[in-house]
Amino acid sequence: MTDRLSILVPIRVLEGESIPEGVPELLAHAHVVLLGYHVIPEQTAAGQARMQFEDRATERLDEYEEMFEDAGATVERRLVFTHNGQKTIDRMIAEHDCMAVLVPNATGPVEDVLVPVRGAIGVDRLARVVASVFGNMDADVTLYHVADEDTTDDDIQTLLGGMADRLAEFGMDPSTIETRIDRDQNPLDAIVDVADAFDTVVMGETDPSLATFVFGMPADQVANRFLGPVFVVQRERAAADEDE
Amino acid sequence: MVDQPVDADAAGENIAGEVPAEEPEAVTDDAVVHDDNVELERTIGLVGGLAIGIGTMIGAGIFVFPGLAAANAGLAATLSFAIGGLIALLVALPTSELATAMPRSGGGYYFISRGMGTAYGAIVGLGLWLGLMFASAFYLVGLGHYASAVFAELNVALPFSPVIGIGLLFGAALTALSIGGTENTAKIQNVVVGVLLVVLTGFLSYGVLDAVGVFGGGTVPEQFFSRGYFRVLTTAALVFTSYLGFAQVATVAGEIKQPGRNLPLAMVGSVLIVTVFYVVTIFVATSAFGAERLGEFGETAMVEVAREFLGLPGAVAILGAGLLATFSSANASILSASRAVYALSRDALLPRKASEVNLRYGTPHIALLSAGGPILVLVATGRVELLAEVASFLHLIMYGLMCIALLVLRRRNPEWYSPSYRVPGYPVVPAVGALASFGLIVFMQPASIAIGVVVMLASYLWYRYYAGDVTLKGDI
Repeated sequence: MTDRLSILVPIRVLEGESIPEGVPELLAHAHVVLLGYHVIPEQTAAGQARMQFEDRATERLDEYEEMFEDAGATVERRLVFTHNGQKTIDRMIAEHDCMAVLVPNATGPVEDVLVPVRGAIGVDRLARVVASVFGNMDADVTLYHVADEDTTDDDIQTLLGGMADRLAEFGMDPSTIETRIDRDQNPLDAIVDVADAFDTVVMGETDPSLATFVFGMPADQVANRFLGPVFVVQRERAAADEDE
Repeated sequence: MVDQPVDADAAGENIAGEVPAEEPEAVTDDAVVHDDNVELERTIGLVGGLAIGIGTMIGAGIFVFPGLAAANAGLAATLSFAIGGLIALLVALPTSELATAMPRSGGGYYFISRGMGTAYGAIVGLGLWLGLMFASAFYLVGLGHYASAVFAELNVALPFSPVIGIGLLFGAALTALSIGGTENTAKIQNVVVGVLLVVLTGFLSYGVLDAVGVFGGGTVPEQFFSRGYFRVLTTAALVFTSYLGFAQVATVAGEIKQPGRNLPLAMVGSVLIVTVFYVVTIFVATSAFGAERLGEFGETAMVEVAREFLGLPGAVAILGAGLLATFSSANASILSASRAVYALSRDALLPRKASEVNLRYGTPHIALLSAGGPILVLVATGRVELLAEVASFLHLIMYGLMCIALLVLRRRNPEWYSPSYRVPGYPVVPAVGALASFGLIVFMQPASIAIGVVVMLASYLWYRYYAGDVTLKGDI
């Protein structure tokens, strides 16, 4: 199956993080890049940690790999000892051409998916992830936009309508797609509030800016506050799309 | 350099039946890859590498040695520092080539054990571990002098000299911190080095302007070789401790991103930067007071120099910088010593247990303790010059052997040896580097040479006793 999209699932494998309930089923139609990583302090050489922990980490990853495969996913796995977890995750995204990173939290069977859409940029990738992960599931997708004062209803309809068309193009049943619009709220708070009624969230990564530098990526903030799993769709990287 | 196989197969077992850990399958720009898809991420960039090199070196050369060097060699101490810098550069270039060919943790020990065999490797590896302890102890005694100067500045009269006590205190605190601390020490090191360079640049610029007479001061010309030519070389041997840091960059070679580019830049760059700072510092310091008086101030001479130029604020700034610099040098050396223990135990030259990682903090507590403990004993001796020379001795042996290892590897040219950086001026540069390294040892005090030789002998005997069957030499 070549149309499976690569989704990165980073797990801090030696710190008691495991694959939460429902996550393997959630990714049944994806190509899972299972990253077990262990962050070590500067004082320790990475090889030193490997000598001691490799066996235990490998054992756990074996177990997790089986869980994903049993659910129907194809799996590729990596085990990395690192001083800098973020650098490792970024490298994996680039090397495996991952469309999205899953922040793994427990969930039941997925029935309702919330897809916050910020703007026209990155809509294509967002749609591809939603369609490929949830297209064959019996799930309802809600496209959600938090508009500011200057945006007219027409603009929003164009945006969300375009997104819905895209999903249909990728083979989703249009009857499962709904839209929802809120106005004059802090987008972040609004997304977290609305998400409560959903099983999972799929949202785009934001371009880095001063605000994201100070407050962190909105997607990460949502992931921290929302209790279910969050797919963070990666923005297009310069070199990442060559061999699609 | 995308995928570089390392074809050095380690074999044999030590007296406890432990075998060397297997070699990685490939070394890339971003990770060291072992079989079974286990990777070790590379996380230190160029800035981090430079900070390790400069941070380790600058503490000694600027904040401890100027007074001692001036007392020994007069104004010509400037030349002594330049000679030291030249030798360091002659070694840093071959080291860069070796490091890009074998970007693995362990630095000089790794290159020599793979290039020349286990016996040389053991002498260098154990010598490096002990050499770093001597170096750390030296920095800690320097730190003690600066802390005492703070007390003196505050007019707190103590009935005893607090130098050694403070050195011991900081030594114990540093060891405890490295074991229990999970803070991002590398980031702090970068900031400390940045602050130091800014403070020093400001201070030295003022000093140079003053020395050439811009502020009306000017200086009385002094006889350059006031203590004779021989003293220039013995002083160079003494102050060479100020140039030990670049090899510490190679110690963490396994963790440096894009090693083919960053390792040579970090090593050669840090040597060049500190050499300039050292030479200018000595020039400024001697022109402020003349070598004679400068020598009388001893370890904290720079504080008096700053006071002369900028009054109390200058003295306070240099005091603070001196504390920071000696502290960061000691810290870097303890961490390097722990890396050396890891590299040795990985190759079964020390018990595997020695590099065990603490489950609670994730730090190698045994390796850190086995560095921190002996350091305290060494600090207690309080012999600055002896500690410095023994540290230099053990490093110089390693430097010389690294140059020879390079010559050996180039001649045999094994298939796995494909450095992405090649030393210019081969074979002259590594040959001169080796001769200069061994040559400098001759100018040390007999006591330092004796201690160094004993350490080497003990290392060799340990290897024969403990790991005589281990072969680490690459396929050459």
